[in-house]
Parts: sequence; C-alpha cells; structure tokens
Amino acid sequence: MWVNMGPQHPMTHGLWNLRVRIEGEIIKDVEPELGFLHRGIEKISEDRHYNEIITLMDRTCYVAGLAWEHLFILAAEQALHITPPERSEYIRVLASELQRIASHMMWYAAFVQDLGLMSPFLYGMRDRDLVLDLFQSFTGGRLTYEYMRVGGVRNDLPLGFTGQCRRVLDWLIDRFVEYDHLCLASTIFHERCDGLGVLPAPEAVAYGVTGPMLRSAGSHRDLRKDRPYSVYDRLQFDVATATSADVTGRYLVRMEEMRQSVRISRQCLDWLDDHPGPVLAAQLPRWLGAPYAPVGNESYLLKRNYPTGLGFSMIEEPHGEAGAYVVNDGGEHPYRVKFRSPVLINVWAAKRYLPGYRVADIPPIMGSVDVCVGECDR
Amino acid sequence: MAGTAERPPAPPAVAEEKPFLWVARPLATAAKQFVKSLWRPSTVVYPFERLEDPKFRGQVGVASGKPIGVGEIWDNYRGVHALNINTCISCNLCAFSCPDVCIEMVNVPGGDPRHPKKCPQIDYGKCSFCGFCSDACPEGCLTMTTRYELSVHKREEMVYSPARMFEIFKSKLPMNPIRLERPKNEDQILLDPPICIGCNACARDCPTQCITMLDIPKPTPKPGEKMAKRIWKEPVINDSDCVRCGTCIAVCPKDCLFWGTRQ
Repeated sequence: MWVNMGPQHPMTHGLWNLRVRIEGEIIKDVEPELGFLHRGIEKISEDRHYNEIITLMDRTCYVAGLAWEHLFILAAEQALHITPPERSEYIRVLASELQRIASHMMWYAAFVQDLGLMSPFLYGMRDRDLVLDLFQSFTGGRLTYEYMRVGGVRNDLPLGFTGQCRRVLDWLIDRFVEYDHLCLASTIFHERCDGLGVLPAPEAVAYGVTGPMLRSAGSHRDLRKDRPYSVYDRLQFDVATATSADVTGRYLVRMEEMRQSVRISRQCLDWLDDHPGPVLAAQLPRWLGAPYAPVGNESYLLKRNYPTGLGFSMIEEPHGEAGAYVVNDGGEHPYRVKFRSPVLINVWAAKRYLPGYRVADIPPIMGSVDVCVGECDR
Repeated sequence: MAGTAERPPAPPAVAEEKPFLWVARPLATAAKQFVKSLWRPSTVVYPFERLEDPKFRGQVGVASGKPIGVGEIWDNYRGVHALNINTCISCNLCAFSCPDVCIEMVNVPGGDPRHPKKCPQIDYGKCSFCGFCSDACPEGCLTMTTRYELSVHKREEMVYSPARMFEIFKSKLPMNPIRLERPKNEDQILLDPPICIGCNACARDCPTQCITMLDIPKPTPKPGEKMAKRIWKEPVINDSDCVRCGTCIAVCPKDCLFWGTRQ
C-alpha cells in the first residue's frame, strides 16, 4: 500500500512529499516527491547583477543563508577575477561558522520535536536566537542577511562585536552540555534512535550523500579539510565523525560540529581583533560597487572589455557539500548559474536507508537528515 | 536493496547502568532552566512590550537572560523605509538598484511643471528588504528604519507613497547607522565630443544640476565642406557633485555619453 507523507505533514519540515509503500508496519519502498518549492532561482540569477543574486541566496536555504552567500560569492569572485581583502575572508568564515551553529540548532529543535520531546525544542530555538542577534548586529537582518558582496562584505563588524560574540559562544558551549543531558543521557532517546536509518559509508558515497550523514558513517570527508576554501587552511579544528551511521551518529556528529564551530569562531575573532583593515576590495567593476546605477548604453561594456571567466566553488554547508558554478561572459549578469544542493541527494538516498524500518521510525530518520526544502528545490 | 531490518547492537546508553540518572539528569536540567526563567525570561510579551522599547536597551537585555544587549544592535535592522522628501533629488538610483523592481518613481508636489519632482514609491508586497536602495541613495534621504509591523487589510495599502514614508521619517525612528562608502575607483561619465550635438538634454535632466553647457568654438568651414548641424555647446560635468545616477546617459539622444575612467 502506498501512503503519502506530505506535502503537509509534521514529518516533512517543509513542502515535500514522501510516498511510502508499506506492508503492515514495515516500509518496503519509498519515493520522495520534490519540487513544490521550485522558484527558478538559477534562471532568475541570469537576469540579475552579481550582487543582486545574494538576495536569492538567502532564500535558497532559509536556515543557512550566509553559508549559501559564501558559496555563491566564492564562485562569482573566481569568475570575475576579484581577490577579496583578507579581513573579509575571516569575517565570512566567522559568519559561516556562526551560521552552522544556528542551522544545527534549528535542526536540533526540529529533530527532537519529531521524537516528541518539547522542552529541548524550546531550548534549541532560544539559543539559536542569540546567534541571530549576533547576525543582526552586523548584517541588519535576522533571516535574510544580504551581507556578503562580490569582493568582500558590506560593512565591517560593529564596535564591541567580538566581545559580545565571545560571550555568546561561552554561553552556547555550556548549552551543548545541557542538550546532551536532555537527549543523550536518556535511555528513551537511545531506544528511539539507535540503529535507525543506517547508511554505510560506501553506499553513502555511491549515492553522493555528504555532510553529517556521511561523516556519521565513519568517513572523514570534510571540504574544509580536504579542499580548503577561504582561510580554513589556517584554522585549527577537527572533523567530527561517528561510526554508527545511524540517527544517533548524526546527532553526535552535529553536536561535535557545533563545538568545532565555536572553536573556529574563536580563532577568527582573535585574528579579527588584531588585524583591522578594509573589508571590500578596492578595485571592482563599476556595477559591483556601492551604487547600483544602470550601465547605460551597451557600448560601455564593449569599451571596458571586461574579461570573461568561469567560477566553481564547493563549500561544506551545514547540510553537506554545496557547489556553485558561475559562467561570466563579460556582461553585468552571469551567463549561467548552477547550484549543487546537498539536501536533494541526501533525501533521494532515502530509497536506501528507509526500507526495512517501521512507519513510526520515519520521523526520527528523516529528522536526522536535516531537510531544507528551499535549497533542495531552489 | 532491502533495508537492514536487523539492528546492530545499540551502544550502551550513558546512564543505562544507573536508571536513576537518566530520569534525574534531564529533569534536573529542565528544573534549572525553569527556575532561571522565573526572573530572567528569554521572551518578550510582544504586543505589550517591544524590543525597541527603551527598557530593552543596554543592560536590560543582558538581565533578561540574553548574554548580549538586544537594544544595542537594533538600530541597523532593515525595516520599513523612511524618506526625506526635502532632500530627495529624484536621481532614480533606488529604483535602478532594486532587485525586485518594487520601487516606482512617482510625482510629488514641489517640482517645476516641466520637470516634476519624483520620489520613490515602494510596494511592500514585492520588497525583499535587502537594503540596496538605501545603500545606493547618494543623499542619504532613503533609509531603513526599525519599524517592522506591516500587516494591512487591503493589498493596495502595501504600496507606500512618498508622503507616507515621509511621515515615517518625521516620526524619528532609529535609522541604520552603517552607511556604505562609495568605492574609490568609481567610473565617471565621459563625453564622446564628435557625436555630441549640444542639445542640452543631459543638463536639463541632471538631478544635481552638475552639468553645465559651455560654448565651444565654432570651426570655420573650409570651402566646399558641409558644416555639422548642431548647437556649439558641450556638457561639462562637475565630478564632485555627480552622483553617478546615469540619467544623462539615459536621456542622451545620440549616445555620446558613456561610463569610463578619465586618463
């Protein structure tokens, strides 16, 4: 019997449908249906200036906006042959790591609610708010940040930000212990999560599954180490892994990743304290600068003869490995933009890690995948 | 590809040996938070209290359980726009910079009849609050305030006229203190002299009146040569006043103005 879980279902966390073939209580086959949230972001990007695409990136993944901004900016800078100042690189890494904490916190809140635990949900949302307050202090937005620009970031960190940020990080480190007390110390949690949704590493690699789902299977694949972008090669951190490849393993990986993010953020803050400087590249094409005036007559671009280029970037986004490909044909808009969404692959692998379990196991398993439909459908 | 129905042996839970602990530890954590929240709540009773209230500024934010002050960082929030009609120069840069094309330049009283004054009218049904318009505004007259309540009864009420945004400006809400600096390598507007016909369109429509038409010497035609039909004037642009809005390029009938760097 085929059962639709979604598009409106508490399990789905967004607008998607999971069709499940069941025999009694046992899942025999699943078929994810995606595309309800398709907004054509790749196509819209072809009609926008490079900086205006950043407004779309915040909406691509609405819990990890800054990470996706970082992804696009890296590809766009490569395509446009722009080198950002070093300080802006550190600010971006700091923002990405704070975003990872916020995203994992959101995942934690949603995941434990799938298990039926209400108090940890409130804790996760409360502590995520502190990170959002930090974002607001330097970007001006709580969900849609529009902070990074091609060639740097919009503005420098405000006065006293590093002190505030350290206080928040100290506060958060204590909260992670509380989370473990609420979940990991409880046998009920283990009864619910251990051995569920097992996806061994070779099969995860074959499916293209990345991120915490892959690392929970014992893999050490992390783009921040394997293919360092920005300034990650100058920062010390460990890759969080687990061996059980199940829901509990993903929980452990994400919790450890948050701790590592705090560690990276502290190193960035130390560096930023000591190295003031500009945050936006001095030499930018005019249409990437502050005033977004019309280019005017067509002959402008011909006269400037701006070089063409290709840009490709991959980052370790909170959900997995995201990729962006930008083709610059010398115009003010990109010729083509393509994104690689980690969640899309992670959800499609459900065909492998769901069958064999019971219907009641679907919420914990799919909750541990950390589905973000906005990024999945784009 | 049938799934693994057989479960691997579960790792021993932290407190499996001590059944008392796995009940007591979550309970103790929750109880601690509950007691804390009695005099340090993490929430704001929204319709009655607002984050922009003076009492949430500074130290009260810390005392309310949040380790950072809520009020200190509230000023650069990107909310509803405020428009100072008096300093707006109708340069159109906000409308050009809008990624969602939600800004329309509409007439406001105050201009002269031949060249009416135009100010931005914003459709908040489309606005994405990215702040590009206030970044682009050369005069600082279009800014974003901390106002965030936008619910309306009718769709038409979402369109904020310049007069309505002027009302918000007059209410003196905190406005975004971080202003974007203009890049140092900005291009200038250059002239291709042989094409220019001296028609005065650029000088007429320049919002900052930074273009003056100067006389150029009329060449004496050689016998048999046909003289170009034109007015013997050329625009000269005062770069320090120019806001780089591109209006002159848009109105030029001969496309003789263009962006470039003066050598």
